[in-house]
Amino acid sequence: MQDSAAPDRVTFIVLRYMRRPILALVTVYAISMVGWVVIPGTTVHGEQEPMSFFHAFYFLTYTATTTGFGEIPYQFSDGQRMWSIVSLYVGVVAWLYAVGSIIRLLQNPHFRQAMATRRFARFVTRMHQPFVIICGFGNTGSLVARGLSDAGMTAVVLDPDQDRINALQLRDYRVAMPGLCANARVPAHLVQAGLTHPACRAVVALTGDEEVNLKIAVATRLLNPQAQVIIQSTSQVHEEAIATLGGDVHIVDPFKTYAGYLAATIDNPRIHVLNRWLVGDPDATLDQVPSTPRGKWILCGYGRMGRRIDESLRSQGIETTIIEPEPPEGEETPPDMIVSRATQAVLDEAGVKSADGLVAATDDDAYNLGILLNAHALNPGIFAIARQDLHMNEELYARAGAQLIMQPSLVSARRILFLLIAPALKSFFERVRDARLDDADGFLPGLFDELRTVVGSQASPRVWTVELTQAAAPAVLPVLERGGTVRLADVLKEPGDRDRRLPCVPLVLCRGDTVQVMPDLATPLHAGDQILLCGRERAVGLLDATLANEYTLGYFMTGAEPPRGYVMRWLLGRRGTDRVKGTPA
Amino acid sequence: MNIEKIVFGFFVLLALTLNFSFMVGEVDNPAHHHVIEFFLVVIVNIIVTGLKLGDRSQIGALLLATSLVADLELVAAAIIWTFAVHVSETGMTPETMVIIVSLAGGALIANVVSVLVIVAETLMLRR
Repeated sequence: MQDSAAPDRVTFIVLRYMRRPILALVTVYAISMVGWVVIPGTTVHGEQEPMSFFHAFYFLTYTATTTGFGEIPYQFSDGQRMWSIVSLYVGVVAWLYAVGSIIRLLQNPHFRQAMATRRFARFVTRMHQPFVIICGFGNTGSLVARGLSDAGMTAVVLDPDQDRINALQLRDYRVAMPGLCANARVPAHLVQAGLTHPACRAVVALTGDEEVNLKIAVATRLLNPQAQVIIQSTSQVHEEAIATLGGDVHIVDPFKTYAGYLAATIDNPRIHVLNRWLVGDPDATLDQVPSTPRGKWILCGYGRMGRRIDESLRSQGIETTIIEPEPPEGEETPPDMIVSRATQAVLDEAGVKSADGLVAATDDDAYNLGILLNAHALNPGIFAIARQDLHMNEELYARAGAQLIMQPSLVSARRILFLLIAPALKSFFERVRDARLDDADGFLPGLFDELRTVVGSQASPRVWTVELTQAAAPAVLPVLERGGTVRLADVLKEPGDRDRRLPCVPLVLCRGDTVQVMPDLATPLHAGDQILLCGRERAVGLLDATLANEYTLGYFMTGAEPPRGYVMRWLLGRRGTDRVKGTPA
Repeated sequence: MNIEKIVFGFFVLLALTLNFSFMVGEVDNPAHHHVIEFFLVVIVNIIVTGLKLGDRSQIGALLLATSLVADLELVAAAIIWTFAVHVSETGMTPETMVIIVSLAGGALIANVVSVLVIVAETLMLRR
């Protein structure tokens, strides 16, 4: 039996389970009814006559099912009474057997799975909003689902673990998030999850198994080449295999992203602050910019991440001491590396008392927390960066006193969400990363000033995209078609006072293939432009209103409010021309 | 200050207040409702409709709709009045007056909505 024929499978299971009980019932009914139509009874007119088939069936219907409905056509003869004893007992037993079989069927895990699959497949087929398929509902998967829900985008979740699917169904998402317990390795399951559905926008593979992720990518490329593929991968071999697939494929390597991000943060903590603020961390404000010290740093853990952080620190001329209990064999390691667990004594030996910074970057949360505690005992003022692998250890990390806490799953999830919800943010962050880290080019300080003055530095800004289409900007397009010029600054004004700006900053302007980060406000708009904005909730509605109302837009552009009605336009217009005529040339 | 807004606001408010003053009095008493006042109500309402023509915004469309509702009811009342006085043999009766005044009451509600919309729009603009 094929998986793709799930609806047929349900029917098949029902038939197979119910075959014997149904046969038993039919046999018992048949024998009883034959008995009734043979055994004579007395009718009201006193004639000796057996029951008709209709009356026999009627009598069995209310006795065999133990309904006990008391209407009897006429008084029974003793022969009929004896037969009714037999047929009642046998009939009740047959019914109990049938009911028991139905209950057993409903409890059968295969049947339940088949039913769940059928319900799920039907639900997915009927979806018409754009949606994303998430394969794997672990730490990262649930963060991505939460982010999508906040952005109002639906996701279909596949996870081989029923517990995770149960967890999904208990969450309070703002949109529908259907989940199915199934292995995404099987392409038929991906199809059930809507891979070939026209509204399927992207497939996110987060299964934790590189082979399965690769297979999902291949299946997506073959079955729905239009869909974007986002894959979590940490192995070089698989990344190469995935990259050769072509198409819209993005590889999210949490370690690479995380290490790069960590390195950039050590270089310039503003990046970290900006990132946290933009993704809506409730505690993040633009005012708290920690300053990373540039003295000696101690690095605990020299894995894939530790190595990259070390490279980044050394490239800036920062001295590092590395502590790693199990250095990778056959690879080049720094000569002064301390090969040991980072106990208090070893940290002391490494010079933690005189160090400025500490990175606890091992892949074990308990170990990282231990390092933090030991280091703080020796040097309470040290600047600590800690890696947190598991979300459940949040409380411990909150108390461990690290200045920066990095969660790889959060970093991955945010990156995936950027790719799905606001692809233009990627170019923005690339520009941010390319900014001169010593702030010599003034990009980051300028950006911070702009955001602080226009949007305000308090937490949770809104990041959203506006597209200049006829539907979204019915006031702007006619002006552009008439050859008029609408500048970015024209639409970003406060309706109450055109000299004031709306509390929002355009981060990226996408026009076809060209991408402008932090566009100049004097930039003239074109039809089809996509603008990524960051601002306050209030600005979202006001900007939409401006783009839709030609009078507001006209007022913003010229500062004048011409009469709207035909009569006043005619009256004031005539007076205007009179005045023009009357003025001496 | 915007000359269009002054003229517009003036006429809309005039329509509302005239409409109200026509309605004041006993509903079925023809002596309480003067025909000249009714004439003014109809004329001012039609002027207001004319002023509202041409505004392409959503609010403009809503304002025009309220005005058309008022016009419809007032014109219906005028036709009934004319019919009662000139065509029917009974002349103006209390029953006919009740119909006319209650139609004017419907127009009054449309005028109230019109004024509310203008006030709300002005407050929303905050300038």
